Amino acid sequence: MRVLLIEDEAEIQDFLSRSLTEAGYELDVAPDAATGERLALAQPHDALIVDLGLPDMDGIALILRLRRLGVSCPVLILSARRSVDDRVRGLEQGGDDYLVKPFALAELLARLRNLLRRSIQPPPETTRLRVRDLELDLLRREVHLSGETLDLTHQEFALLEYLCRNAGRVVTRSMILEEVWGMKFQPETNVVDVHIYRLRGKLDTPEREPMIRTLRGVGYVFRDRD
Amino acid sequence: MSSGTGTERFHTAAWRISMWAGAAFACGTLLVFISLHRFVADDIQRRSDAWLTGEVQVLSDVAEETPRDRRYSAVVSEVAELASREVPNRLRSSSPTNDSVFFLQTDEQGHVELWVGAGDGGTFLQAIRAARWQSDVPADIRVQGSGVPFRVASVSTEDGAHIYLGLSERDELHVLRSLRMRFIAIGAIIVGFGFLIVFAATWRMLRQVQHITAAASRIGQSDIRTRVPVSGRHDEIGLLSTTLNGMLDRIESAMHQLHTITDSVAHDLRSPLTAVRGKLELALASDVDSEAGEQIVSAIEELDRLNRVLTTSLDVAEADANALRLRCEPVELGAVVQSLVELYEPSMAERNLRISLRREALVYALVDPALLHRLIANLLDNEMKHIPTGSHVSVLVQGLEGQAAMVWEDDGPGFGEEVRAQLFEARAKGSRSAGYGLGLAFVHAVTRAQGGTVMASNRPEGGARLVVTLPLAHGPQSSAPLRDVILA
Repeated sequence: MRVLLIEDEAEIQDFLSRSLTEAGYELDVAPDAATGERLALAQPHDALIVDLGLPDMDGIALILRLRRLGVSCPVLILSARRSVDDRVRGLEQGGDDYLVKPFALAELLARLRNLLRRSIQPPPETTRLRVRDLELDLLRREVHLSGETLDLTHQEFALLEYLCRNAGRVVTRSMILEEVWGMKFQPETNVVDVHIYRLRGKLDTPEREPMIRTLRGVGYVFRDRD
Repeated sequence: MSSGTGTERFHTAAWRISMWAGAAFACGTLLVFISLHRFVADDIQRRSDAWLTGEVQVLSDVAEETPRDRRYSAVVSEVAELASREVPNRLRSSSPTNDSVFFLQTDEQGHVELWVGAGDGGTFLQAIRAARWQSDVPADIRVQGSGVPFRVASVSTEDGAHIYLGLSERDELHVLRSLRMRFIAIGAIIVGFGFLIVFAATWRMLRQVQHITAAASRIGQSDIRTRVPVSGRHDEIGLLSTTLNGMLDRIESAMHQLHTITDSVAHDLRSPLTAVRGKLELALASDVDSEAGEQIVSAIEELDRLNRVLTTSLDVAEADANALRLRCEPVELGAVVQSLVELYEPSMAERNLRISLRREALVYALVDPALLHRLIANLLDNEMKHIPTGSHVSVLVQGLEGQAAMVWEDDGPGFGEEVRAQLFEARAKGSRSAGYGLGLAFVHAVTRAQGGTVMASNRPEGGARLVVTLPLAHGPQSSAPLRDVILA
């Protein structure tokens, strides 16, 4: 997977390059819009990561220009701005994604992964999710763990469904909040954690390792293998 | 913004002005008519009097000069008959006989000597006597049985006889009546046209004022880039628009400046925060379980808290300056409160706090959804921070006096006296050091910026009470009944 990062802040560029390379992406880096445009047109990329506050051109203008020039890969927009531009909303509706600085690296990687997966193929419409010996029946909204039916509230079910769909990958609190509750904000209190604790109480048994692993300061991973 | 219904139209200034103008037109035309009517009536009377005086003189001459023989009455009658045909502008009578003129001659004793005219001379003579008039000036005589009065002139002959010549006022009255009819028609047209023209002109003018009002209120709500429409004319309204737009230009540039400042503060602080957070996360990845890892995690959490404070402070600053960038849409308030209460309920239960929600109806508020989420989250965070364990929070969502309202009540200690006065100011802190901090300041500023109100009080039975109202979304279903929902 080849990703083009267009970001002018050297510090951000630096740690993003490191973590994206560590995550296994081939990376091109551009410090300004002109270089970014040249690199984007020189060879195809699977995704672009574009900061909106570029020194020589507005990030959105660059994205729209690249779209006109035939670059169709998905874009992850980074912004330190306070208000979301209408044009960004337009891009979001067109399948691109938007991340406000400061962001969690895990979240950036998760969103990038989602963008790439979406651009390859839409996720199949399933009625059943299976992770190890856990099985979710999405139509009847039932959960079976090693054949036994679990009694979950509708919120717990929605949370578990989201974790299972992202099994094996890191999800952050704000991703959970946005995807499960449809809210884009950071609460002051640990509201998401308490939901996770409750869910754990119903899933976990003393004789096996917890199914939901906490990555402190980052988020959670639903283990897809022992 | 045009007034849609008929009743609204009657309450407009244009309607009132046109009513007054119509009344003025009616008074004016009435005055003109009255003087015209009087002039015409006088003129007609003057002419008929002149004719009567002349004719009665002629007739008296004829009567005196004609010998009193057998043919006397035939001659005088003939002359009188001829005179009656000379009546100026006489109308064709409905009866074939002459009923518009009479000639009456009395002898010295006052008996009818000669009568030319319709009807009986005796009744006419009685009427003339009853009028007790004797001068040479013609006068009005009302005769019994005849609908219209007669104008009568008289002359006395040397032998003591009286000669009367009467002219029916029927024609005069007819002329005046048709004049009145025409006046009423023309007057109605003048008043009607005047009303319509004034109404159209003021309506047009006031519609411009209405456009200006509408634009100004839209601008007041959110869209500062709109300008009020400017008419091409350099009249008072044109001047009003131009002045208003100039004022808006200045407000917009001040707001723009504030946005530039808050944006650059946000950008300048967020970029290094991003870099620091990213580096900490990278360090954490390689050092996840050590003691250093713990410290990195707490540093990341502190950074996130700092970022929240930064975002909220800038929002409060913008909201206080009425410069918050809002994207308002109709939102069912109860549903949003319910999903947030559901989100917070486990955390509250963990602290042994109970929360219940009652939705009296479906209440659609016109708000910015993202800000509403944060507003309610702030209220919930605030409750969790400030009430002791075992307390109960109840939330009521209802339509209240044309507003969407949330009533938050708890049975905690309530607001301290010293805090209440400055509850909604950023960083007001109670004596209990936890303080209300930015939370309620944010709630207050953001509610106000969306056109709502916040009222804080202590309940008489103990505990705090916050009433947050937000503007109702105008729609067919802005509040509809709903069954109670009780949680926890």
